[in-house]
Parts: sequence; structure tokens; C-alpha cells
Amino acid sequence: MIKRRLAISIIPILVTLFAVTPTFAQGEALAGDFTVSHYFGGFGGEFIEEIVDGFVAENPGLNREESPVDHEQFKTSILVQLAGGNPPDTFSYWAGARIQFIVDGDRLQPIDDVWTENDLGSMFPQAVIDTGLTYNGQIYAVPLTLHWVGMFYNTALFEQVGAGVPQTWDELVEVAERFKEAGIPAFSLGSRERWPAQFWFDMILLRTAGNDYRNRLMNGEASYTDPEVVRAFSLWKELVDAEYFHPDANAYDYIQSADFVANGEAAMTLMGTWIGGHYTSDLGMVPGEDYDYFAFPIIDEGVPHASLGPVDTFVVSKEAANSDAAKAFLVYLTDPEVQLAFADGAGNLAPSLMADTSGYDPVKQRIAEEIARDPVFAYNYDLATPPPVAEVGLNAFSEFMARPGNFEALLERVQQDAAAEFADLN
Amino acid sequence: MYKRYKWIVPATFLFLPVTVYLAFVIIPTLNSLFYSFTDWAGYGADFDLIWLDNFARIFTDRLFSNAIKNTATWLALAMSVPTLAGLCLALALQGKNAVNTAYKSLFYLPIALSPIIVGIIWVWIYSPQLGIVNLTLKAIGQEHLARAWLANPDTALIAVFVAWAWQQTGLNMVIFLAGLTSVPVPLVEAARVDGANYWQTLRRVTIPMLRPATVVVMALTAINALKSFEVIWVMTKGGPFNSSDTLAVFMYSESFRKYKMGYGSSIAVVLFLMTLIIIVLYFRQTAAAEELYD
Repeated sequence: MIKRRLAISIIPILVTLFAVTPTFAQGEALAGDFTVSHYFGGFGGEFIEEIVDGFVAENPGLNREESPVDHEQFKTSILVQLAGGNPPDTFSYWAGARIQFIVDGDRLQPIDDVWTENDLGSMFPQAVIDTGLTYNGQIYAVPLTLHWVGMFYNTALFEQVGAGVPQTWDELVEVAERFKEAGIPAFSLGSRERWPAQFWFDMILLRTAGNDYRNRLMNGEASYTDPEVVRAFSLWKELVDAEYFHPDANAYDYIQSADFVANGEAAMTLMGTWIGGHYTSDLGMVPGEDYDYFAFPIIDEGVPHASLGPVDTFVVSKEAANSDAAKAFLVYLTDPEVQLAFADGAGNLAPSLMADTSGYDPVKQRIAEEIARDPVFAYNYDLATPPPVAEVGLNAFSEFMARPGNFEALLERVQQDAAAEFADLN
Repeated sequence: MYKRYKWIVPATFLFLPVTVYLAFVIIPTLNSLFYSFTDWAGYGADFDLIWLDNFARIFTDRLFSNAIKNTATWLALAMSVPTLAGLCLALALQGKNAVNTAYKSLFYLPIALSPIIVGIIWVWIYSPQLGIVNLTLKAIGQEHLARAWLANPDTALIAVFVAWAWQQTGLNMVIFLAGLTSVPVPLVEAARVDGANYWQTLRRVTIPMLRPATVVVMALTAINALKSFEVIWVMTKGGPFNSSDTLAVFMYSESFRKYKMGYGSSIAVVLFLMTLIIIVLYFRQTAAAEELYD
């Protein structure tokens, strides 16, 4: 009873206090239902859950509803929710062409207000802000994790055949040949879900034609029949023709193909840093000892070195029932501690410049340096080009892995289809 | 007076099912028809009416003709393989004894499984390294025949079809078994007395008498074949590179992977018309069959 009276008498005081305090907007208690949706299944899901729990614990007025879905299913289910006018308040989404796509569809709300209010611009690399968070001149997303695509390899196998880390294309071919002689496929690729094959095209194109040309290709300003693309495919074909790849790439998913490397059936796999989460958390491998990485080798000297990977962000639905909570959640996600906690569990990197990376494992530490050193951060193919075009390319990459023979005809078909999709989008 | 309000009772009972049918079948179908005339992406609020443009595009789309070709193959296989297999099983298991009952349950079991589960089971069966198909081939010294069944564009469609047929066969068997019970025993016995052997009785008496059951089987198989989606999606998602795309899968890919809901809807309309033709043919056949026996 006394407590209640105390509470009643305190309320007017608090209200008066808040009313005269300029930070009223930030101090306002969040309340109501709060829905978060994300695509972090497997080894990321539990960590994002902890983060949402932490946010709700700080804002006890919120009634949290969460709906984790399978990574592949998410791509469909979120659009159905957006179309149905009943979207989650906030959800995870891939920076690049995919956010652009739904921004253009008028399904997200800009977050410039909280961005400026909390000075978030000083917390992230400008390259990420420019290409990953800013769309049509406004900020729409905050980054939660950064991934990086590189060659992850089985250290014991490299020692066994006496191979060093290749720095150039020729050295890569030499190492692959050495593995072939030892009866071990050098490269493991699991393109059953198609997307893992894109990294090969992405990396070879970035290391030969460079990022500016690639951007033009991704925007429909360049053609898949250009000599740049033909050359990238020719180089890729050299490796396929020489039988350096583990057979039947299209039969396996990326986990199975990464496991071939882990259990010594293949030497290396071109994959994102999330595979480190699988190696350490699921298989108990020690980073830097059982497995290690190297950056995709240089092919043409003089082409600016580029990092490649996706950036996971969170965005706020235009029709969010609880926009205030959603925006506050986005701000919460920028906390370096939160970013580090997530990166630690999921094998990824924290995009925040404020994050103390000394706790990273040695592999991740070197990758962070790699990203900081590279002048360019490019998004992988299916996040760099609009989704309908990405469909055309992803099918082509898996077709190439099965039938590398007449890729010129394949590229002509891709160009025809891609041009039709770009025409539809405009 | 009382008679005038007689409609109230059936109307009350019909209210719920009609509402459900309207909400989940009629309205979405009409909705889909409407969107087939638009360029709606599937999530934004904006779209333009483009009338028949989607339908015009269908007939120049390489992937659509690929899907039609695969659907035709699928349909042809579906009409023959599980139908024949179902008939053979029904004939073999029609006698009433414990062994037959056990086998019937065994063959019917796949029907009880969700197509998603069937797909997952068969993905394992076809697994290149650990799958029972390749392991068996290796065990009998036919290793050269082993391959990545679902990843090979030449085998993917057939491989998925086998999984689908595995489930469909049990259903056909049950319908044929029901049909067999309606074959008059005196007729079969009369044929035997007249000196007809097993094959002659089968060809001249049993199979003609199974005509109503066959019509049901064929119609159900055709409709199931045209709408089959789950097994294909779980096993290959229409891949590798569209080699196992059927119309239903192609419709889904265009709608939800390429975000072209308008175009996807126009494919759905074509699929709907194809199914409708089969249903009309089916009703005409059953009506004809009923007349025959009336």
C-alpha cells in the first residue's frame, strides 16, 4: 500500500522531470507489442535471441514477439508479410540491392532521426554507410555483422602436401595441382543452393576487371558478353577443366562442402566468415590451427584489392506497429558490446569502429585487418545486383559448374535474360 | 408460411463452408486472375495494369517452354508409371489374408507422409556419397552407374518423379483395390468356366469392369501431377538450373524469387486452365461411365 502511494506520488515528479529534460524522447518508456523477425537460423539464431532478450530486459514495457525462420524461407516469408501489410516492426535484411529493392517498393522507413540523434555516423566505416545503409539519400539500416569471403583451408592438408599460402593466381594453380597429384580435390564447392558458386565469379571478376567494372555489370550498364566477363569465366574454367574441384558441386550444400574440407576430403573452400562459426562452434576446430584462411589471390597486378561479403543489417518496416521500439532496437544493435557478442558467437565480424577486436580469434583478427586495409568493400553477386537479375546469374553459375564447356553461349543467354530483367525494373 | 423459410436451415449450415470456400478459394483465385493483368512485384503498393502483356511474354519465355516440356514429361510419366504400378499392386494384393493386409499397409504408408518428408527421405536416398541408390550400385559392382542424381540436369527430373510416384502409387493401389471389390465375382467365375485363363479374364473382364476406378485414378493423378510442387521444391527447387522446373515450381520461382507476382499469377492462370480442362474431361468421363452402368 505504501509502495503504491509512493509510486503514485513519484509519477508526477518524474513526468515533470522528463518534460523539462531535452532527452525526453530517448528516456520515454517503450511499451506495447514488439515484433522482430530475422534469418539467423543455425549458428546465429541463439545469439540474436539473446540480444533481443537483452533489449527487452532494458525495456520491460515491451511484449516481445519473435519469429525465427529458416534462412532460405525468410527471403519469401518476409515479402509475403510486407505485401500483407502486417510486417514485423524490425527485421534483418541484406545490405545492397536487396534493401534497395524494398526501399524502392516503399516498404521501409528511414531512420535519419535516430541516426543523427545518436551520432551513429561516427561509429561505422564510411564505405559501409555509403553503400550499405544509405538508399536514395536517406539512412535505412544499421549494420549488425560484417562477413568476409575468403579461402578457408585445412591446415593439416596444406602441410601434408607442403603447400604454402598462394598469393597469386599462378601460385593458386600450382597449389591446386599439388593437391591433384596427391589425389585430393583442391577446391570444395557446394552449390546446391546456388549462391556459394557466385563467390568464384565475384572474386575472379574483382581481381581482374576490378570493382568499378563490376558495379557497372551489377547495374546493367555492362554486358555479360564483355571481354571482362568472358575472361573471368575462362579463368574459372581452367580450374574446373583441370578437375581441381570436388566432383558434383551442385549436389551438396555449403555446410557439406565445408565439411569436406574439415574432414580432409578437399583442401579449401571459398566461403564467408560464417563458416568459421560452423568450424569452431559445431566441429570444435581451432582457428589458426585446424583451419586457416587466405585472401583470394591477386590475378592482375594494379587492380585495387577488394574485400567481398554481405553485411547483415536491421531495418524498420514502413508499416511497423511499434516504430519507436523498432528504432530504439536498431540503436541498441549499434552498441559495440552487442556487436561483439553477436560476432563472437556467429563467427562474423563487428562492423562498429568502436568494437574492441582484441578478443577475436587469430583468424578473425587478421581478417579484420584485411578488411581495414582494402580500399573497396563489395557485396556478393546476389546482393549487388537486383534480385530478378541475380536469379539469372545464380542459375548460370550452377549450370557452368555442371557444363563448363560452351560458356560463351551461356553468357549470351545470361545477357539476354539479364537485359530483359533490367528493362522490366526500369 | 413455414415452407417459405425452408431455405434458412440449409443456408445456416452452408454459411460456414461457403465463407471458408469464398475466403480461401474463390477470392484468392479471382485475386490472382486480377494480378495476372498487372506488373505487381509482390510487396510494394504500386503496380500498373498491363493487361495481356504477361500472357504475351509467357509464349516467348524460354523458361516457360522449358517448364511446359518438363510438365508434359511429368504428366506422361505420372499417367503411366504410378497407374500401372498401382494396378499391379492391387491385383497382386486383392485376396484377403494377413500377408496381403500387411503389404497393403506398407504400400499405403507413404500416403500418410507429408510431401516435404517424402522429399527429405529421397534426398538422402539419392545422396551421392551416402545414399542407398549409389551404395547399392557400388555393392553390385555397377559403380559406373552411380551419379549425383539430383544435381545432374539429365536425371534430376526423373529422380524427383520417382519420389513423387512412390507416394502416388499407394493411393492408386487403394482406389484400384476398392474398384476390384465391385467386380462381380459371378462374372469372373463365368469367364473361368468358359475356359478363359488368368490373362484373358484380366483383359476381358476385370480391367473393363475397373473403368470407373481407372477414371478416378487417372483424373486424380493428372491433377496431382499438375499441382505437384512440394516434393520438387524440397528436392531440387526446380534445379539444377531449371532442369526440374515444372509449371508450379516455375510459377513460384518467378513470383517469389524474382519478385514478379504479376507474371507469376499469369503462369498460375495458365496452370489453372490446364487443370480445369482435365477436371471437365474427368466429369464428362465419369458421367459417361455412370450412364454405362445405369
